[in-house]
Amino acid sequence: MTKIKIATDWLAACAGCHMSVLDMDERLVELLDKIEITSCPITDLKHPPKEGVTVGILTGAVNNTSHLEVSKMMRERCQILVSLGDCSVLGGIPLMRNQVNMEEALRRAYVETESTVDGFIPRSEELAKPIPARPLDQVVKVDVYLPGCPPSAEAIYFVLSELLEGRVPVLKDQVLKYD
Amino acid sequence: MDKVVHIKINGHHIRARAGQTVMEAAKAAGIDIPSLCHHPAVKPLGACRICLVEIERQRGLQPACTFPVMEGMRVETESPKVVAERKFLLELLFSEGNHYCPFCESSGDCELQALAYRYGLDHWVYPNPGEPKPVDGTREYFIMDHNRCVLCRRCIRACSELAANNTLGVIFRGAKTKVCADGDVPFGQSSCVTCGTCLQICPTGALIDRQSAYAGRESQVERTKSVCMFCSVGCGTEIITRSGRVLRVEGEWEEHNNGVLCERGRFLPFKEQRQRIQSPMIRKDGRLQPVTWEEALEAMAQVIKKTPNKKIGAWTTCRTLNLTLSEFVAVFLGKLGANVGVLELTLARFKLPMGGSLNDLLSAQTILVTGADPLLDHPVIGYHIKRACMKGARLILASDNGSQMKRFAHKIYPLSELNKAIRLCQESDAPIVLYGEETPPDQAEKLALLQKKAHFIPLFPESNGFHAKVLGLRANYAPNQMDMVYLLVADTALSAEKIKQAREAKFLAVQASYHGPLTEAADVVLPALLWYEQEGSLYNLEGKKVAVRRAVPLPEGIIPENEVLTQLAVRL
Repeated sequence: MTKIKIATDWLAACAGCHMSVLDMDERLVELLDKIEITSCPITDLKHPPKEGVTVGILTGAVNNTSHLEVSKMMRERCQILVSLGDCSVLGGIPLMRNQVNMEEALRRAYVETESTVDGFIPRSEELAKPIPARPLDQVVKVDVYLPGCPPSAEAIYFVLSELLEGRVPVLKDQVLKYD
Repeated sequence: MDKVVHIKINGHHIRARAGQTVMEAAKAAGIDIPSLCHHPAVKPLGACRICLVEIERQRGLQPACTFPVMEGMRVETESPKVVAERKFLLELLFSEGNHYCPFCESSGDCELQALAYRYGLDHWVYPNPGEPKPVDGTREYFIMDHNRCVLCRRCIRACSELAANNTLGVIFRGAKTKVCADGDVPFGQSSCVTCGTCLQICPTGALIDRQSAYAGRESQVERTKSVCMFCSVGCGTEIITRSGRVLRVEGEWEEHNNGVLCERGRFLPFKEQRQRIQSPMIRKDGRLQPVTWEEALEAMAQVIKKTPNKKIGAWTTCRTLNLTLSEFVAVFLGKLGANVGVLELTLARFKLPMGGSLNDLLSAQTILVTGADPLLDHPVIGYHIKRACMKGARLILASDNGSQMKRFAHKIYPLSELNKAIRLCQESDAPIVLYGEETPPDQAEKLALLQKKAHFIPLFPESNGFHAKVLGLRANYAPNQMDMVYLLVADTALSAEKIKQAREAKFLAVQASYHGPLTEAADVVLPALLWYEQEGSLYNLEGKKVAVRRAVPLPEGIIPENEVLTQLAVRL
């Protein structure tokens, strides 16, 4: 049996959602009989393969121009896109930044932080440009939502298992949490 | 007996009472209809529309909280149409404000969140515009975050219907609508009386208690039903604790106070700064030193044995619970024949029938308040009077000073003209008379004229004043004339004048919860329990026996006051 290909990536995220994926522990090993993780932030291959994957998972909110590219590439290369975690589903913590002016936010982060000495705002052309933060589904079409900060390992396992069974996951009770 | 109405909810035959709403009938039959703005303590409003149900032959969906039952009615509470509508409403609610759970204090206890879970909302359908609303932190004890508010108006109804204060309302229209105080002044500068009922009734994280925020969710805390001990009204409370620590106090919805408490009962106890007395102490070499209970009680017993009974004086606060109060009288009066009394006034000179009830007060037509300022000293009674006035009761006030009730009175007489107020009451069928210590003795006698028709509510200054009066204890404080004095003050702070008198006693034993100028002057100090550590009962001003319950484990090394008195008696 060919394995189902899965690719994951993160946008404006704290990595907590990916930690929660790892929290599946031995169930992750069990899943690897059925799935192949082609790319993820902690593998050598960072981008989903050109030939595409069945399931793409994105965590984090979209808040710069690079995130736009990453999410669009993932959307193009996967059949089912899972928006995983509160930042991706609802905008999350990065959304709080929208309440202040962008320049102010950058100055606070790069110059005025208490621990910063001679800080400056990086302006290199190579860097992505910050944009107002937004949930993933405002940028690309999302097929499956899994909120949670982070979603529990049980919830992630439930969603993957349901997808492997060919069902659309319906979240309720313990696997539906916003915090 | 109300007329029975036969209705069908979700296919079940239900007998409801005429006049009930669909929500009430369903609840009585064990069928849960979700809602957000509805709360049993306030009048239904139909503001949130979450309780919409399908009713046969009714156009569109109808709110169950306001729709009355009718014979033959058929109701569907979870039909696909209803569920779709509820989800849509929830999606709209989440499209405004900040209902992001991970950094909300109420996450886990939020009724909005619970509904979203119940209807499986896994994302927000409508983009949240994120227009920030203000956060009002001008009140001392709690914060209003307008971004978390769903405009259910529970707080507004609690403020007007329960606390009868009418501070809260809404301002602006449409998406700009927000709850405001006095037409939009900062809450801290408004006419708010800090009763905290709005805080307790809020379904979301819009109102946040500074003291207990982030200290524990409902699933992590314990609730102990008790009674407020900070005045004689005896409001029902729930003491909320976690790991032996008191987080906050809430008003009991089912009691006469309908969830309402006052600042003194809900918030002030948490401002306590005094240092707790942890163990018995005896003055040795001019300074208080910790000793065992045996040693302290033995020292007291020795002095008592050597002192003539007439030279022994014992006074207790009226906040003492029943068992301790009885034990106090049994030991010092019964066994020793010493001088006994209480530290606060007990309305001892009033010879009026007791037993006027607070429920009578709420439905009264005529209310006479004499020699007291309920809004200041018994705030919840003050709110009750205002509630009765809003329903059309006439308030007659006999007062010489600037009573806070003045604004609400229909007639005000000086205390010397109490007879005029009494005459006015005589025109009424069942007036309620609330009397306090400031009523002059010569005028007080005149109240007896109303004995036949009126219900009397004595406004005792302290929580168990009723029992103290029944036991015949008087405020005959005179420690300066005694050789041996025992003062059971618990956590009350005595006036400087009383402390000065106590210092004149040859031997002073004090049982108190906190260190202070009184214990500094004492020869023996015994620790006492606090309001949330006490277990027992007291009589409120209605003469009703109410249970005070211990909300935390007994602190190590402290013996309940009544047992201390028993142990002392054994040594005498």
